[in-house]
Amino acid sequence: MSQLRFDGRVALVTGAGNGLGRSHALLLASRGCKVVVNDLGGGHTGGGKSSAAADAVVAEIKAAGGEAVANYDSVEDGDKIVKTALDAFGHLDIVINNAGILRDTSFQKMTQEDWDLIYRVHVLGAYRVTKAAWDHMRERGFGRIILTASAAGIYGNFGQTNYAMAKLGLVGFGSTLAIEGGKKNVHTNVIAPIAGSRMTETVLPKDLIDALKPEYVSPLVAYLCHETCTENGGLFEVGGGFYGKLRWERTSGKVFKLGRAISPENVQSAWGDITDFKKTTHPKDITSSMEPILGNLGTKALGGNEFIDLDQAMGYEFPSATTTYDERDTALYALGVGAAQNPLDEKELQYVYEMNGAGFNVLPTFGVVPALGFIFDLYKQGKQAPGMNYGFERVLHGEQYTELRRPLPPHAKLTHKAKIKDIFDKGKNALVVTEIRSFDETGEELVYNELTTFVRGAGGWGGDRGPQGEVNTPPDRAPDQTITEKISENQALLYRLSGDINPLHADPAFAKNFGFEKPILHGLCTFGYAARHVIRAFSNNDARLFKSIKARFSESVFPGETIVTEMWKESATRIVFRCKVKERDKVVLASAAIELYTEIPKPKAKPATTPTPTTAVAAPAGLSLPTEGGMNSNDLFWGIRHHVETNPDLVGQIGTVFQFKLTGPESVWTLDLKNGKGSVTEGEAAKPDCTLELSQADFLGMATGKLNPQKLYFGGQLKIGGNLMASQKLTFLQKIDAAKTRDAMKAAGYTPGAGGAVPAGASATAGPAASSGSPSGDVFVAIRDYIEKNPDLVGQVATVYQWKLTGPDSAWIMDLKNGKGSVEPGNHDKPDCTLELADSDFMAMTSGAADPQKLFFEKKLKISGNLMASQKLTFLKKMDPEQAKAAIAKAKASGGAPAAGGGAAAAPKKDAVAPRFFGALAERLKKTPALKDEVKAIIQFVVTAPDAAWTCDFVAGAITEGKVDNATAVVRIADSDLTEIAQDGNLASLFQHGKFKVDGDVRVAHKLGFVKGLV
Amino acid sequence: MSKRVNVIGVGMTKFQKPGASDDYNVMAANAAKVAIEDAKVKFADIESAYVGYVFGDSTCGQRAVYDVGLTGIPVFNVNNNCSTGSTALMLAAQAIQGGIAECVLALGFEKMEKGALGSKYTDRTNPLEKHVDVMVRAQGVNSAPFAAQMFGGAGREYRWKYGTKKETFAKISEKARKHAANNPYALFNTPLSVEEILASEEVFDPLTRFQCCPPTCGAAAAILCSDEFAKKLGITKPIYIAGQVMTTDFPSSFEDSMMKMVGYDMTKNAAKKLYEQTGIGAEDVDVVELHDCFTANELLTYEALGLCPEGQAEKFIWDGDNTYGGKFVTNPSGGLLSKGHPLGATGLAQCTELVWQLRGTGGKRQVKDAKVALQHNLGLGGACVLTMYRT
Repeated sequence: MSQLRFDGRVALVTGAGNGLGRSHALLLASRGCKVVVNDLGGGHTGGGKSSAAADAVVAEIKAAGGEAVANYDSVEDGDKIVKTALDAFGHLDIVINNAGILRDTSFQKMTQEDWDLIYRVHVLGAYRVTKAAWDHMRERGFGRIILTASAAGIYGNFGQTNYAMAKLGLVGFGSTLAIEGGKKNVHTNVIAPIAGSRMTETVLPKDLIDALKPEYVSPLVAYLCHETCTENGGLFEVGGGFYGKLRWERTSGKVFKLGRAISPENVQSAWGDITDFKKTTHPKDITSSMEPILGNLGTKALGGNEFIDLDQAMGYEFPSATTTYDERDTALYALGVGAAQNPLDEKELQYVYEMNGAGFNVLPTFGVVPALGFIFDLYKQGKQAPGMNYGFERVLHGEQYTELRRPLPPHAKLTHKAKIKDIFDKGKNALVVTEIRSFDETGEELVYNELTTFVRGAGGWGGDRGPQGEVNTPPDRAPDQTITEKISENQALLYRLSGDINPLHADPAFAKNFGFEKPILHGLCTFGYAARHVIRAFSNNDARLFKSIKARFSESVFPGETIVTEMWKESATRIVFRCKVKERDKVVLASAAIELYTEIPKPKAKPATTPTPTTAVAAPAGLSLPTEGGMNSNDLFWGIRHHVETNPDLVGQIGTVFQFKLTGPESVWTLDLKNGKGSVTEGEAAKPDCTLELSQADFLGMATGKLNPQKLYFGGQLKIGGNLMASQKLTFLQKIDAAKTRDAMKAAGYTPGAGGAVPAGASATAGPAASSGSPSGDVFVAIRDYIEKNPDLVGQVATVYQWKLTGPDSAWIMDLKNGKGSVEPGNHDKPDCTLELADSDFMAMTSGAADPQKLFFEKKLKISGNLMASQKLTFLKKMDPEQAKAAIAKAKASGGAPAAGGGAAAAPKKDAVAPRFFGALAERLKKTPALKDEVKAIIQFVVTAPDAAWTCDFVAGAITEGKVDNATAVVRIADSDLTEIAQDGNLASLFQHGKFKVDGDVRVAHKLGFVKGLV
Repeated sequence: MSKRVNVIGVGMTKFQKPGASDDYNVMAANAAKVAIEDAKVKFADIESAYVGYVFGDSTCGQRAVYDVGLTGIPVFNVNNNCSTGSTALMLAAQAIQGGIAECVLALGFEKMEKGALGSKYTDRTNPLEKHVDVMVRAQGVNSAPFAAQMFGGAGREYRWKYGTKKETFAKISEKARKHAANNPYALFNTPLSVEEILASEEVFDPLTRFQCCPPTCGAAAAILCSDEFAKKLGITKPIYIAGQVMTTDFPSSFEDSMMKMVGYDMTKNAAKKLYEQTGIGAEDVDVVELHDCFTANELLTYEALGLCPEGQAEKFIWDGDNTYGGKFVTNPSGGLLSKGHPLGATGLAQCTELVWQLRGTGGKRQVKDAKVALQHNLGLGGACVLTMYRT
């Protein structure tokens, strides 16, 4: 590193007779700089005058071979000092404002002189010297100026108000000089040094002063003054060996939107943000300082006051929640709004009796109940929208709009999403509109509600007044229809059970406090009355055609009064109405209308693709089933059953319980290809592995091979629940030979196309399978024998147990409740207690090798239904093993007739996939030799169930049965899963699912895509 | 400005298998007493205690502390799944950092049952529901222990991406056993070969039994204090916490990646913050205790912590860069795989090991000239706590 030299440069150092100034002068002079050594020669508090100090430094510089002149003027005569420099050396490059004095005293004792003197030396002095040099430097296009500030100025220090003021003043002075001089290469920097000098002797201990030599500060000054240094406008702390730069740091602060008053309270509540230094910026100049302010100029507050802050509240989305309701809730609601006061009235029974012959319908205005319940819950949990700072006592339900996207199902699980839609300033009061959307489990929107609340006394911020004028004004003619109905005296008590438990509607004392003579009726109760009336009058009493209702709650109603609903038909789908109280002739529901649908809307998620929509919904199954080639879905299931019966291997191969849910018209079928011999039954399965929902027509198309299930799935016409993969096993359906099926039907006396009934004898679950390899069947035989010998057990245990064993799968019913008790294979439709466990665990448990409780806690044994009943199974331990053996032997000798389930899984698999799979692969390799180059590896397949080993050598190009030991990767896979990888082709997903495993380099398996479509 | 946190005392019990240990309060009190003695403080000096455990009724923390002393101090019970121990440590450290206390106790313990972890409450929303959803979408569910399915599934995803051999995963267990052989506090002291590890029963491909941490009972404790307090005790150069970060799940946990679901991004993000916070980079670390609940997670964590570049873990392992003589010594204690994983204690047992290493009292396991130590403790649900220690 070359030395930083100052040859030819001229520097002026004020206060250079001692301390820092002397050190700066000596250092610069030692590096070739000509120096004007200025010192008044006074004391460090500003008194006295002498030339000795400056002369001594000049002598020292000269002695060392440098050039220097002395100057004894006060810095207040800055022009004289500068003149000395110009006279002696002809020009001036560097000005180091260093001179300073102290007048330390507490502010309390400070005099005007103390204040003025400090100002004059530090600030005025720096000004005068710098000002005198300024033009000269600008003209020469070079200048380096140092101002000397202090930590006392930056941070404050006791007893130095005057000094701190002056020192920080220099920082501002320097920052601006830097801006003004920058372009002319006149740089100004400020240092805040700490050094042991005459001035600091008064405040610092002696030993510290020794460590703080001025010589530790001057190197920074020298560098800043060098021509190669580009630093300008910097502030540095320096001393004792430490060198650091300071900058401003500012919190990101708080930005209030403009256009509304900002109160001291706003500032108080934002204090955390204002003072939080976790998020900060470092403004460098006025422009960056202004950034947040300029950024806020465009914003405009929506307004508000202490009750409502629109900027926070508007558009706020509440946390969503899920609620459920069922027939009981909807019936209770209907009773709550006065339905079926005459229990013989068939038109009203539809709302309250779930087994009603003419159908059970939910009264449409029930749609407001779950949504409002959700909002109430939010209130209760204190989850008010932000910016809504008012109590519930100010809130009045002003208006309600409820719209159904389709008829409400009798029970549902709804997810509600609410947000603040609008806030209006009605002068004295505020109006808050909250929209609530309720979605069913498929994610389809079912109900839309708009809840308009009046917030008393919360208006007046001068905001949007909202829509003006009356809507739904009744026309100027007599009502087209009028329904009058008396409200029961206890109606409010009934209605509140639907969720609004405000004591105003039940507690006489509470109501009095609010100025009512007795508890009032819920506005929404009247709302329900009105809806019922309109449906009766204009919708042919079909509640399913109801679309929407809007009403304003204008007056209170008392239970016991008579309600008069006056209705005007404005169009085929729009009824304007109002409700009055007969006794007081007051309008209680105003600005009200109901809209109707022209036809009953259907769920979007399950589009009925059948071309005959009118047959949907309530049409009894079988009346108008779509057909395909003369067969309807009932016929087809008959055919499937026949196919399953004649192909018993299917159960082992497929091992899945399918549930079909068909629509248009609706029917449900269970195709069990997992248990026993398999079965095809109408109705729901207890535990389907895979559920398929589609229309009758699509089902027919799919089963007959005319429609591609994958296309249906991606097109949304087919929905698959549960095990998606299993659905791919349904390809066997296409193998059903229609002609043969028809022949079989004929032989069985079944008429195709007749629909409906399943022929007798073919129905129900398949019977127990023939004896299998699993010994669990033997155990059940032994248990049956034991029960026969201990008839008291039936009374003592009084439980129907359902056993579901897996691996191999079997199902057994152990009935210790009815008759003499029985043990038989199969599924009971109402077991008290169901036990699910592995076949091997069952064996271990009944032989006493495993403890059932332990199995349960290890989750190896699953118990559903009556858990306690499982404890009664201890009797199993009392069985005599010898007797059990004898019973089993006897059963076997008699031809094995009663024995075991589990036949399914144990059935021999005749058709291993592997030979076909690898045979096809060999064919493909022969046809497409390029495969070799694509894979370039030896893949060993180890197939299980049944076991086999195949080597796919894509180096030599040979597919052979057997193993090699130089394979790049070993793929382990179950025989049945070969079909899956051949059909699915998404290898990453199949690998992630564990359908195949790979030893060695897994990436080889990435290249197996060509197996798609092999079998 | 926050104050420096010093770790002046540590202690742990020997980790044992379920059924073989003392009751939780005895284990916890023993660990706390060892740490107190190690720090040469009196129980009366301790101003508050942060006690972590996952399984147990409320206020087990007090019950444990009461066996050490009854001074009426605040006791905070902490539960954060597998990262419970380090969460207690973090709260304790914050108390010192913020100047709330001068000397505090962080304690963790667990009395576990045999068998895989399961859910204790079935009548309410499972906290791991969102995580399980990701798994169900990605790979379905089978009867293997849930944690093994999750971390094993992450291992599958990694393998599919980078072609990693199964032996590579087994190598991690082999290393863990080798380290644990020198740790008298570890549950398993017998070394195992890669062949033995691969031959053990498959739990969830690619994980075999010996690649899963065992249910364990044990306790561990640490005494933390301020500079002033350490000075009073005459401790001149205490081990101190240079930085600490906790992260919880980000949206990426719930997209479609098993690796991310089990916390890859939590770790990655926490590591980034920690390195920024401390100015210490991964390359400066000498010794690491990281959350090897399964071999697959140790492998992922190498990359998430930046010990090796993404996709390079296999090379890192076979080059021996995860053990003595390599770039980093990971889990000198034997880790969760071999030392055992008593959920509430693990975070503090990691702390204990690292403090011993930095003090140079690691015995046969001592990492030469260890000056900087990194701790990684992860819980599904989720939380990831990273702590950097320095001499």
